[in-house]
Amino acid sequence: MALEKRNGNLYYYRSERRGDEIRKVYVGSGEIARLAHEQDEQRRAEEEAERGRAQDEVERMEALVAPALEIGEAAEVLERAHLIATGYRRYQRHWRREREST
Amino acid sequence: MRALELRDEDRERIRELEELSTKAEEGDKDARRKLRVALRESSPGVVKRCSDIASGYRGVLAKTASARNPLLQEALEERMEGMRDEIAGDNPTPLEVLLTERIVSCWMLVELLEALNTGYYVRDTDRKRLDPRYFMQMVKILDSAYRRYIASIQALARVRKLQAGTPGIQYNTQINLS
Repeated sequence: MALEKRNGNLYYYRSERRGDEIRKVYVGSGEIARLAHEQDEQRRAEEEAERGRAQDEVERMEALVAPALEIGEAAEVLERAHLIATGYRRYQRHWRREREST
Repeated sequence: MRALELRDEDRERIRELEELSTKAEEGDKDARRKLRVALRESSPGVVKRCSDIASGYRGVLAKTASARNPLLQEALEERMEGMRDEIAGDNPTPLEVLLTERIVSCWMLVELLEALNTGYYVRDTDRKRLDPRYFMQMVKILDSAYRRYIASIQALARVRKLQAGTPGIQYNTQINLS
C-alpha cells in the first residue's frame, strides 16, 4: 500500500495478490487517497493488535499446560520404574510379567 | 508459575530412575536391584512434591476457569477433591496417588482449554475472524492435553490391573447363525 505524492497531488494505491502475481491497484487521489490510506492503516493496526492478543492467548494456554506436562512426565517415569522393578517388561507397547524376575 | 515446577533435586531423582529403568529393561539385573532401592528412597519424596504441585496447579486452573469468582472456584476445587478421592479409592499406593493427581489435573485442564477455545470461537462470530494459525495452535494444545488426559487414565488402569496380578479379561463370544 502506498500513498504517493506527485506534482503536489496525493495518489493512493493498494497491492493486491492474484495468484503468484502482485498488482498495484489505483484507489483514488486527493482527499479520497488520504482517507483510504488512513482506513487501511487503522485496519492494519487493528489486525496487528488482534494477532498480539491471539499470540498472548496461545502463550497463556501453553503456560497453563506446562505444570501438567511436568507432573505427567514424572508420573510416566515413576510408573515405568515401578513396573520394571516389580518384574514387568514392555513388549510391543504392552506390559508383560517376565518369566524370571529377581 | 515457578512454584508449580519440580525442584532440581527432584528432576535429578527422576532422571536417575529413568536411567536405571532403561538399564533394567535391557536386562541389567544389578540395575533392577538399584532401581528398587532408588524407588524406595526417591518415590515418596517425588510423589509428595508432585502432589503438592498438582494441588497448587488445580487451584490455578480453578481460579482461571472461574474467572476469579470465589464461589465457582471453591465449587470446582471441591469437585476435583471429590474426583480425586473417588478415583484414588481406599488405601492407594503412592504411585496410584500420583496417577490420580495427574488424571484430575488433566481433566480440569481439558475442561478449561475447551472453555477457552469455545470462548474464542464464539467471540469471533461478532468480531473479525481470528487468524486460523492461532486457532489451530490452540486446538493443537487442547488436543495434546486431551491425549494426555486419556493416557493418564490408561496409566492408572494399567497399574491397577498389573498390581492386582490378575490376567486381562478376555471375552470369547460364539454366535450360531444356523
